[in-house]
Amino acid sequence: MRESIIMKIHYGTALGAVALVAVHILMRMSQKFSDSLQYQNVIANYHFLPYALMLEVLLILLSVHGFNGLRVILLELKQGSTYEKMINYGSLAAMAILIAYGSRTILMAGMGVS
Amino acid sequence: MAERLSNREGIKGMANPTRYGIERVAYWLQRLTGLGLLAYLIGHIYETSTIVNGKIAWDKMLEFTQTPQGHIFLTLVIGMCVFHTVNGVRVMLGHGGIGVGKPGQPEYPYKAASLNYKQRLCIWVSIALAALAMMYGASVLFGD
Repeated sequence: MRESIIMKIHYGTALGAVALVAVHILMRMSQKFSDSLQYQNVIANYHFLPYALMLEVLLILLSVHGFNGLRVILLELKQGSTYEKMINYGSLAAMAILIAYGSRTILMAGMGVS
Repeated sequence: MAERLSNREGIKGMANPTRYGIERVAYWLQRLTGLGLLAYLIGHIYETSTIVNGKIAWDKMLEFTQTPQGHIFLTLVIGMCVFHTVNGVRVMLGHGGIGVGKPGQPEYPYKAASLNYKQRLCIWVSIALAALAMMYGASVLFGD
């Protein structure tokens, strides 16, 4: 993929994530912060389908943005065909692992598996 | 060749935050806050995964994170997040050609038109907003 397209994805994921992080924080501020972290409240958040879907989208946006940012930093430090391939595939793998792990939590908590 | 190599500073020259003014400081802060936020994201996803192990595991995790040290850490995360966002918007607009000035004939002392007062002001605004958000975040976290 061309770097110009990757940077558009980077900026797009950033803007999307800013909006969704704002909603995520507002959900914590809808009541006393410590109360919002109580087990029953957090489980209720996961059981609320629109919010669970928003968390999934946020997870994907932040993982893509975060690991692409790390990829850019690492490619600025050093260049070379093998190194670049390693960084590109490594970032994709890390992205996929983090999304899979986070999705597992959203799915299990949402379905009441614990 | 030998002279060129002796003048070559490599990564040290690139990393020096004092040499190119506030723009280089912003460049480093953007990268450092990005790395910090990525580390926080990974930690946050791991931390929240304890919910699937039941109430006892969740409460144990809260005992670990809902401490004064945990609140200080979260306040820092808020600051990093706000700086990274606001400065990121500046960089994004700059890539789109907004606020970087018009191209012109280079004249001594070759000051880049893109490093103008608007850009510098945006960097200071990013730092100020991050500080304000940290103060507000700390008041919410410690006021509980």
